[in-house]
Amino acid sequence: MTSASRRFVRPIAIGALVFSGAIGFGAVRGGLDAQPPTTPSAPTGSAVAAAPSGSAARGKRVYDSRCVECHGKTGVGDGPAAPMLMPRPRDFTAGRYKLRSTETGSIPTDEDLLRTVRQGVYGSAMPAWEKLLPDAEIQDVVVYIKTLSPRFTTELAAAVTLGPQVPSSPESIARGHQVFERLSCGSCHGADGHGTFAIATEFEDDWNHPLTAADLTQPWTFHGGATSRDIYLRFRTGISGTPMPSFKDTATDAEMWDLANFVVSLGRKPVWSMNAEEVAALYARDAAEAKADPIKRGKYLVDTHLCAVCHSPLDQDGKIMPGMTLAGGQLMRVLPFGDYPTGNLTSDKETGLGGWTDDQIKRVITTGTRPNGVRLPPLPMDWSAFSAMTPADLNAMVAYLRTVPPVSNKVPEITRPLLPMYLWGKFKMLILQDDPPIIIYPGNVGTKGGQR
Amino acid sequence: MKRFLKWAFFIVLILAVAGFCAFLYFIPPFFIAPPETFSKAQNDAAPTVAGINDPAERAIAEHGRYLVVTAGCIGCHQVPGPKGPQFDKYLAGGLKFLTHGGTYVARNLTPDKETGLARRTDGEVKRVMRSGVFPDGHVTSYRVMPWGSYTNWTEEDRHAVVVYLRHLPAVRRRIPDQGAPSPFRDPAAYEEVYGGKDYTTGK
Repeated sequence: MTSASRRFVRPIAIGALVFSGAIGFGAVRGGLDAQPPTTPSAPTGSAVAAAPSGSAARGKRVYDSRCVECHGKTGVGDGPAAPMLMPRPRDFTAGRYKLRSTETGSIPTDEDLLRTVRQGVYGSAMPAWEKLLPDAEIQDVVVYIKTLSPRFTTELAAAVTLGPQVPSSPESIARGHQVFERLSCGSCHGADGHGTFAIATEFEDDWNHPLTAADLTQPWTFHGGATSRDIYLRFRTGISGTPMPSFKDTATDAEMWDLANFVVSLGRKPVWSMNAEEVAALYARDAAEAKADPIKRGKYLVDTHLCAVCHSPLDQDGKIMPGMTLAGGQLMRVLPFGDYPTGNLTSDKETGLGGWTDDQIKRVITTGTRPNGVRLPPLPMDWSAFSAMTPADLNAMVAYLRTVPPVSNKVPEITRPLLPMYLWGKFKMLILQDDPPIIIYPGNVGTKGGQR
Repeated sequence: MKRFLKWAFFIVLILAVAGFCAFLYFIPPFFIAPPETFSKAQNDAAPTVAGINDPAERAIAEHGRYLVVTAGCIGCHQVPGPKGPQFDKYLAGGLKFLTHGGTYVARNLTPDKETGLARRTDGEVKRVMRSGVFPDGHVTSYRVMPWGSYTNWTEEDRHAVVVYLRHLPAVRRRIPDQGAPSPFRDPAAYEEVYGGKDYTTGK
């Protein structure tokens, strides 16, 4: 019996997954190496006309191999990975950028774009490309993404003039604290910058994508950087497309510098520079917060534990269909065991988890046993890993799944292959030992989400 | 009488064979063992952090261990063997994945100096989990290495994962280097891992 069980654990392994998502990023390095270096970028502001005409074409090649996975082939920010990311990838066609040194509503300068590509966006999936690409390629790609929005040909970037910097001092921080309270920063970011007493921390941006107010105690997650100058720029220019406004009409330059100094002072130590007591205190605080808000903790667990990767129908690019996250219906063909469509995890009563009890959900997550007694193989549903979760985390996960908006998507039952095919597969696996189970994704099978 | 016995024997034989086939069909072998058997073998295999001297690092690595175990890293980064995964070589990689975009091989995540993560900086390891971008600059699909999910880890949780990976027992196991989703580029490593058996062509 044990040997039989071991026999299967090997298969877990062997899976050869056919991912439709693996399409769009074909040629990776090839063709890019042999490029001549381009001239350095034009000075800030003078922009488009001065840019070398050939570099947009070279930039497109860079874009097609590095950027499409998130930003999409057309630059709308709809790459295959986009629905899973938080914050979402930028939509280049709108010409609206968050991280600028220009007036509210203006397009960014070339320097702003170059900086974002070079240094990445902290606290997001955008990496710092300066360590990976020659600077010439970064400049090419910036020229290319500017061609995606007509705004860059019709408008000029209106750079802001920075007020004289107020150096950080206890007095400046105290003044900044007063500005923080006068401008009601705490209603989104919390009185302590960590969300405490905030009226709301969950928002939507102009593209109706979810958005969370920044945790001001974690400066390493500030998208635009954590120096007082970076923070001052966010106050001065606002963050386009989000509820974060510009404060240039409600606060003076000096006040914004004070506020920036105050926000810098809110930052706590990150875990990588803490001592043992501080680490213990941090984890205790995290556990207490998870207990106080299990739905938030559950969302974090569902987001980070791969649920949506399989439990959502995909389109031709391997992207989760819009509005169908966690609605199930992706078909997993596990040869030779049969077809295992992924379940609908939304709270729909008829087709989702709405009709399941908490214990039934937990049982299938931790043991792979469905309410009707059918057992799932250990892969692709990785219940053996999830069985190591703490009871509190499991409860949090269930609590969050209860809140996922219902999507009616009826997923068919598991189907088994015909007896002779099954026995042949079994024979090859157990006796000949050369044909482990293979997992294939042939398409979607839910009633909604369609066939591929 | 003899004829009757002969027939009875045949019928019993056929029933027995049919019964065995039905048994195999309706109760596949991995369903005989209770689910806990799989889970325990897999989850207990994760090396503990008791050997780490620095208390802060130990606490962070303990947290990282929880994340590594529950996120199922071992599902792909295990070492396949003739009798199931070789859990003593925890996360040393080598599984292959055939996809539309080419053949992928799970990397060696142990801190081995020549073949494992000791070659990579913390930032490079985190970048793969955050952005799916490898040190050579290639971007991998969010569905092969599921960074689309791990990108949602907080930076501190990601750090804990890296700290734990840094304390795994090092296993020397060369995984074919793969800059692009194309057939293996490194024939020597390929030979070492797969004994020259050509998996790239399907079978």
